[in-house]
Amino acid sequence: MANPELINEVKEHIIDALHLEDITPADIENDAPLFGDGLGLDSIDALELIVMLEKKYGIRIANPADGKDVFKSVTSIAEFVSSHKA
Amino acid sequence: MSQSIVITGSGIVSAIGLDKESVYQSLLSRQSGIALPAILKTNHKDIPVGEVKMSNEEMKSLLNIDDLYVNRTTLLGMMAVDQAIAEARLAGISKKSCRVVLVSGTTVGGMDVTESYFSSMLTSEDHMKCMLTHDCGNSTRLLAERYNFIQDYTTVSTACSSAANAIMLAANLIKSGQADIAIAGGTEALSKFHLNGFNSLMILNKENCRPFDDTRAGLNLGEGAGFVVLESKETAIKRGADIQAYLAGYGNACDAYHQTASSPDGEGAYQAMSQALSMSGLKTGDIDYINAHGTGTPNNDESESAAIFRLFGDDVPAISSTKSFTGHTTSASGGIEAVICLLALQHSFLPANLGWSNQMTNGVTPTLGEENRELNHVMCNSFGFGGNDSSFILSKHETSYIPTTFADGEIKVVSRVEIESVAELSRIKEYLKPMEIRRMGPLMRSTLLSSLEALKQAGIERPDAIVTGTMLGCIDNSEKLLREMVATDEATTSPTLFMQSTHNTIGSAIAIQLGCHGYNTTYTQAEYSLDWCMRDAELLLRSGTAKTVLVGCHDENTEWYGWVQRAIGREVMPNIHSVAMVLTLAADK
Repeated sequence: MANPELINEVKEHIIDALHLEDITPADIENDAPLFGDGLGLDSIDALELIVMLEKKYGIRIANPADGKDVFKSVTSIAEFVSSHKA
Repeated sequence: MSQSIVITGSGIVSAIGLDKESVYQSLLSRQSGIALPAILKTNHKDIPVGEVKMSNEEMKSLLNIDDLYVNRTTLLGMMAVDQAIAEARLAGISKKSCRVVLVSGTTVGGMDVTESYFSSMLTSEDHMKCMLTHDCGNSTRLLAERYNFIQDYTTVSTACSSAANAIMLAANLIKSGQADIAIAGGTEALSKFHLNGFNSLMILNKENCRPFDDTRAGLNLGEGAGFVVLESKETAIKRGADIQAYLAGYGNACDAYHQTASSPDGEGAYQAMSQALSMSGLKTGDIDYINAHGTGTPNNDESESAAIFRLFGDDVPAISSTKSFTGHTTSASGGIEAVICLLALQHSFLPANLGWSNQMTNGVTPTLGEENRELNHVMCNSFGFGGNDSSFILSKHETSYIPTTFADGEIKVVSRVEIESVAELSRIKEYLKPMEIRRMGPLMRSTLLSSLEALKQAGIERPDAIVTGTMLGCIDNSEKLLREMVATDEATTSPTLFMQSTHNTIGSAIAIQLGCHGYNTTYTQAEYSLDWCMRDAELLLRSGTAKTVLVGCHDENTEWYGWVQRAIGREVMPNIHSVAMVLTLAADK
């Protein structure tokens, strides 16, 4: 499981990268879907999240389709980050 | 006077040749021009591109140009326009007897030069003179001033459909009697700016592109220029010019779906092709060949296929994407592909679609090339970011086209909204949701706010057409992207910044917001941008293409660009300025 500190950090990076000005980390549920019905993000946001992972964590996703599983929720992103850090 | 528009000259420079003959030979021998970058100085050495195989220095020497800061877009344009003018025998034509207009499509403009000096220009004025021709309009001015018989000029900037829309405006200027001869097309140099931008959208193929193939994995960017000389049949006959083909029909529609993706059913593409066909008086069965937009991205080829099946049913004409030879030459593509279509008509052959071997589900089946095939009518598609979709038809013979009539009457300004301060932009919250606003820079907010308020005042939900002007587009985004490119040494680029750096991003954002599929175009001609919007809007209203037109001109400024403007002696633009108007044609009394 990803630690709460990393979860919070990921939320802050998401808010920053996607210009979610009116949203605070507390507004985003850890396991809620980020795309579609959840936060309502779109395909450009997915590309911005790929850039964010590379900038903040040095992790490169070469195929945008691979992002689908990673960007399911904040938890899945945090797990992906910790598995690549190890 | 009839409105038969003919082509009497053409010129091309591209990755597969520096003139028509060499392009023709490459097409016949199936020789692609796509390779790893050799001229563009980028860190992305593993991304193949379609470069024109000639350095700036070589072109300058060939063209007799001695200007340190001349940009590659302009040089490529000069190479192609020189050829077109020679073929149409325009040299020596008298300004008094003939009004010659240049309409050029570009989005890159002088960005190739700007990006090479950008790092230095952040702290020093030493090279700021290069910014005199940074903007597309001034880049076109440089091109036009090379020829002493050109009376007027403008720049169309609808990203990848720019040249096609330039050809359309040119034809309308001739039909309405505002020009006798028009040189129209597009020119675009490769730049690090848009290579990194397209890369951030993850739609570049690291191998040669495979349009319409089931395994297609993106596009290759290319560069070049293609221009045609248009005039009425009467003018051509009067001056003894050779008629190469007829511009039988053309159409422009907006997909109004997404800034960088096409809709699943290809609505914009379908409408543009339908309009072109209807103007030409031809039936679907008359079209012998389609030069597809066919970029090789999963999204474009699927959407374009859907649109083509909708229009042509099971009887799809021979089709290919010659971007498999040239790369996607973005703003120049409509010009380059117009010249390729002319070659196909003239030499009776079907250009191949390279790289194709696997049939895609729900996709068209492209031709792998064929010689000795008589062609009478060919269709050429050009689709741009923001859903700016255009299509035109070239014919060997005159068709029973539908003539355009231009009505008299007064052009009426139904409503007019002006925004002059950043403080006003907070009102955008009355019209859009926070999730819609969050990515928008000041110019995007100002464009939408002024446009939506002008429509509201006019009591119109959706105009028939949207014509937008801008000198620099979202300079705030462009500058941020350039700064990011310098800071990360091309390692990362924000897709949002790139998506909102094309000039047409603001005009298409209005269309997307309103779900407006009507005619949509963008002019960028320095201080004359709004004038050209008004001229096009008037053509649309008088010809009955639109009953209501939303016209606007929008620009923003940044601290850095303000410094540049002072340094090069230009007037410093305000931080924000938008004008939006709804126009109609008052009925004749």
